[in-house]
Amino acid sequence: MKKKNIRLIALLVALLMSVAFIASCSNSNNGSQTTGTTDADDSTETGDILIGVLSPTSGSEAYYGRDMLQSYQLAVEEINAAGGVLGRNLALYHADDACDPNTASQAAARIVTSDVDFVVGGYCSGATISALQQFYDEDLLMLISAANSTNITALGLEQTFMLNGTADHGAAMVAQLCEFLGSTKVALIHQGDAYTQNLSDTCERVLPESGLEIVTVEVMEQGSADVSAIVTAVLYSGADFVYWCGYHADGSNVIKQLRQGGYTGEIAVGDGSASVELIEACGPAGEGVYVTSPPYVGFTEGGEDFIADYNEMFGMEPGTYATLCYDTIYILKEAIEAAGTLETSAVRDAIAAIEYDGLSGFTKFTANRELAISNFIVIQIVDGEFVLISF
Amino acid sequence: MFSIWELILQQLVNGLILGSFYALVALGYSMVYGIIKLLNFAHGDIYMTGAFVCLSVFAALGNIVSGWTGIILSILVAMLISGILGYIVQRVAYRPLLGAPRLSLLITAIGVSLVIYNTVMVMTNSQPMFFTSGLDNAAGIRIGSILITYIQLVLLAMSGVFMLALNFFIGRTMAGKAMRAIALDQDTSRLMGINVNRVIGMTFVLGSSLAAVAGGMACVYYGNVQYNMGYTIGIKAFTSAVIGGIGSIPGAMLGGILLGLLEAMGTQFLGSQWKDVFAFGLLILILIFRPNGLLGKTEIERM
Repeated sequence: MKKKNIRLIALLVALLMSVAFIASCSNSNNGSQTTGTTDADDSTETGDILIGVLSPTSGSEAYYGRDMLQSYQLAVEEINAAGGVLGRNLALYHADDACDPNTASQAAARIVTSDVDFVVGGYCSGATISALQQFYDEDLLMLISAANSTNITALGLEQTFMLNGTADHGAAMVAQLCEFLGSTKVALIHQGDAYTQNLSDTCERVLPESGLEIVTVEVMEQGSADVSAIVTAVLYSGADFVYWCGYHADGSNVIKQLRQGGYTGEIAVGDGSASVELIEACGPAGEGVYVTSPPYVGFTEGGEDFIADYNEMFGMEPGTYATLCYDTIYILKEAIEAAGTLETSAVRDAIAAIEYDGLSGFTKFTANRELAISNFIVIQIVDGEFVLISF
Repeated sequence: MFSIWELILQQLVNGLILGSFYALVALGYSMVYGIIKLLNFAHGDIYMTGAFVCLSVFAALGNIVSGWTGIILSILVAMLISGILGYIVQRVAYRPLLGAPRLSLLITAIGVSLVIYNTVMVMTNSQPMFFTSGLDNAAGIRIGSILITYIQLVLLAMSGVFMLALNFFIGRTMAGKAMRAIALDQDTSRLMGINVNRVIGMTFVLGSSLAAVAGGMACVYYGNVQYNMGYTIGIKAFTSAVIGGIGSIPGAMLGGILLGLLEAMGTQFLGSQWKDVFAFGLLILILIFRPNGLLGKTEIERM
């Protein structure tokens, strides 16, 4: 009797756990067709042009992933309302990469098997890199809106384009900012993953060329709460400028503890932390922090209409990568129209030759398929809001 | 500017704070292992739940009480709720398996950890939450270049008080005596009239409440609360418990503080990318020479 009871309860517990597990999996991993009602199957010939979207909508970077997806949706709806592309409507198929290389590889498999025509997205470089090979194998063209590690370029995939400024552009901005502020001793902190380490390495290489001294390079594990030891190391190094190369959730921790530990020099954060969430997360410690940012919509020309439309459609403010994502869809549209076909090689050549003046600035690609002219801006947190800094 | 000695002292302070977090969490691991030889993998998740409860209660209390009163109240509520959660976990998932092979219990513990982790992930939509106490985080005592903030002092004092109280409870009270008896021999304890199930339940409540204290303190001190915050600290606390000698209460405290200090020193003198290599390398050395941990007892297998 007793043994049976035990088995029954154990079975019950196991069942409960598997239900919770499956529920969480289906919540975070399933792809979903978000715009347009057409089934994926009949999109190949005459139906919708199906665009796969790879972005993190769960995990610590979910805010950016959602913002990216919504910006694509806005552009797609506008284009469809104006008659579509080559007489066909656009539709999106979204898969969540959770900013994690393993999840990204599964997401890429779902996108590939959904018979999409093109892929856009890419926020975390590590996750994006892990997905790219599958797209390449299927001869799918990908426009990467946000991820910008030079490691992506290094893969040499000829139908992959990066719309965001690269780490080189970011590092150049840091050098200018240091000169503007009169800082000379730079401490770099990264998180040891593809994007943050790449940015840190690039700064380490580029900044000394501008006469700046790199006094220390620190690594903060993702998700570790305590950075007091790093803070002390930074204080001891005599740095007067700290550049955080990581993402905003951990970045707020670093900024708070730097201030808490008595650091009084300048703090700047990279594009991975460029989000209004950083302001909330840092609280008063965030005042005066500089951000080397992608073309944030509040500070670009012609952004007012976009903000209004976005607000109306989603009931929230557009985020950091909204302009780049919005432009991504329009660049794809222009390239398809120029090519007159959905053929990957023809569209690729059209994109390689494109010169597009959009919301995020002027887009043109180098022979390496990177953004040719930097679109970075510097903003600063002043009284709990971002303010554009020009120098 | 820092002199080298001030630098070492400041890193000692940093390590001590970090170590007291590890130690508080490690106590729960060690107590449970000491009594039913179970590695309770869900312990880190209970810590995380404690942090979320603390944050929510503090936010809810916002208009009535704030500052330190609010924080202490929130931590107390977090202790209560985590204690209840710990008891439920024990009652539902572990007690039915007490007679089963160790391995089944271990797998169940991993399952419970996943359930709590994923539930909180879904409930919070994977979003980090931010805690603002309204206290001045940078205010503190300055000795030369060394800074010890008031918050750090309070946290140190709190963890010290809780650890001493636990030590007193286990060493000097009847309930503590019963716990020690069960750790030695469950069957004999039962024959002596000890309600074994109740004492095991109590152990889980105690351990979980201590994890909630650590969670609440982390919430106040770091300000970020996230569903995955229990993972790293769970591993580190488990390590601390093993280093100190798993099953030993003073050992868990010692192990936690030692690990915190090693990490801080490793960060300063070898660079932050090497701190874990340094800390864990030394720990392996300790285990080679003292396989039962620093304060662990040599177990004699009786046939």
